[in-house]
Amino acid sequence: MQTTDLCYLTIAEAAAGLRRKDFSPVDLAEACLERSAALDGQLHSFITVTAERARADARRAEAEFAAGNIRGPLHGIPIAIKDLYLTQGIRTTCHSAVLENWIPDRDATAVEKLVAAGTVLLGKLGMHEFAFGGPSLDAPFPAVRNPWNPAHIPGGSSSGSGAALAAGFCYGALGSDTGGSIRTPAAHCGIVGLKPTYGRVSRFGVVPLSWSLDHAGPMARSVEDCAILLQAIAGHDARDAASADAPVPDFQAGLRAGVKDLRIGVPRAGWFDEKLGVDSETGKLFDQALEVLKSLGAAIVDLDGKPFARARLANQTILLSEAYAYHEKSYQNTPTKFGSSVRRRMLEGAFLSAADYLTAQRARSVLNERIRANFDRVDVFAVPTVARPPDAFDALDPNEQNLRPSFTHPFNLTGLPAISLPCGFTSENLPVGLQIAARPFDESTALRTAYAYEQATEWHGHRPALGA
Amino acid sequence: MSDQMTLEELRTLAQRAGLRLSENELERLLPGVIRARQQAAALRELIGADDEPAGVFSAARK
Repeated sequence: MQTTDLCYLTIAEAAAGLRRKDFSPVDLAEACLERSAALDGQLHSFITVTAERARADARRAEAEFAAGNIRGPLHGIPIAIKDLYLTQGIRTTCHSAVLENWIPDRDATAVEKLVAAGTVLLGKLGMHEFAFGGPSLDAPFPAVRNPWNPAHIPGGSSSGSGAALAAGFCYGALGSDTGGSIRTPAAHCGIVGLKPTYGRVSRFGVVPLSWSLDHAGPMARSVEDCAILLQAIAGHDARDAASADAPVPDFQAGLRAGVKDLRIGVPRAGWFDEKLGVDSETGKLFDQALEVLKSLGAAIVDLDGKPFARARLANQTILLSEAYAYHEKSYQNTPTKFGSSVRRRMLEGAFLSAADYLTAQRARSVLNERIRANFDRVDVFAVPTVARPPDAFDALDPNEQNLRPSFTHPFNLTGLPAISLPCGFTSENLPVGLQIAARPFDESTALRTAYAYEQATEWHGHRPALGA
Repeated sequence: MSDQMTLEELRTLAQRAGLRLSENELERLLPGVIRARQQAAALRELIGADDEPAGVFSAARK
């Protein structure tokens, strides 16, 4: 098998190949390290490559395979981690000069679980500084670029996770999502990203942006791979105050059950046409995705989009307030260490009042109830992930996110699980994402719907043309 | 609090918050601050007198 083909296997395919002894964990790790060494200079998806650690992890996995001690589907699989997850003995920067040389003495819970699953750690991935604002153009590390066209943004804040997966540098990654930070780079990079239900995956050891909106979750190249990764990292953690003590189902069990008679709600009215509305190519690809789901037996139900549209206001107010509260002391001590993008956004939170914050939390209660009431009529919601394709770096407008509908914020505000997967490409060959959201703790239905769509289409098989 | 703000008001609030911002920074910040406060103000029409904040304190939680 060619190195490129090896690098683009899914986790499920790689795990099967390891069992058949088609290749070894060391082969997988070396293929990823070689590919990222050759190509990441144009993308900057990694901040820190942990090649020695990866080789040691891979050799250990190889020895365990040889002894017949196979831990599970992630054993021997090379992965990478967004650089806001604490990693013991490995620099954790949050893509910021503030933490440029910070080496934590412990792993985040999700990292601990991936280590226990036998994964091979390739390194730490670039992001928007502190998961906030836009691409970090004045941070100590270069901004991550989109593998489909490096002149374009990869989306954020888990930009390195999206880019590294699309480029074939790793098989799975961790991201975090406060207003769309897993799903947006998944859509812009043409991969799959799952924001689980709030409380499903521990946030312990994940540097906060906004405590009540932060979600930790998996990113991968297929829906099944996201299910595999979620299985490994889900579960109650007493060290996270928001962690839910809810049963963790087998996320792969119902994956192939199809969508016949599934009711898919589309909250179009009063949301999709907000301000500049949805980009025409994005809108067309989304409508085609609905037709595919209909052809598979699902029923499409129109819903009122207004409560979804208003979620952005509450999400932003809470996010700005909590982010400033978290960074206040650090900012006052070392303001110049924060990059311009994160500084501008964070300071907006300094001028909101306690009443503003509590009003947003009260509105959250109201909107949560109105949005969830739709589950009397439908099983899942379907919307585009992002209203427009990824912008070019030289056309970036910091106010752009306020000019179009935000399709990700409602699912942070309500904590509902939501997955983004590829649903086509624009005329400029830039990926577009379809988002499916489900009832709380019903990731299985979101995964099942996404899997049915994925298997009925061929978008997940597309690869960017990266030159050496 | 009004959701509109002048540069002078922003300067005063920044000083009270212990933030040392240049005139240039204040000018760049002002549109975003106004927008953030307008967003927050717009939420007031959504809530009723009986609506409590999400995530209230629980004495039962350890």
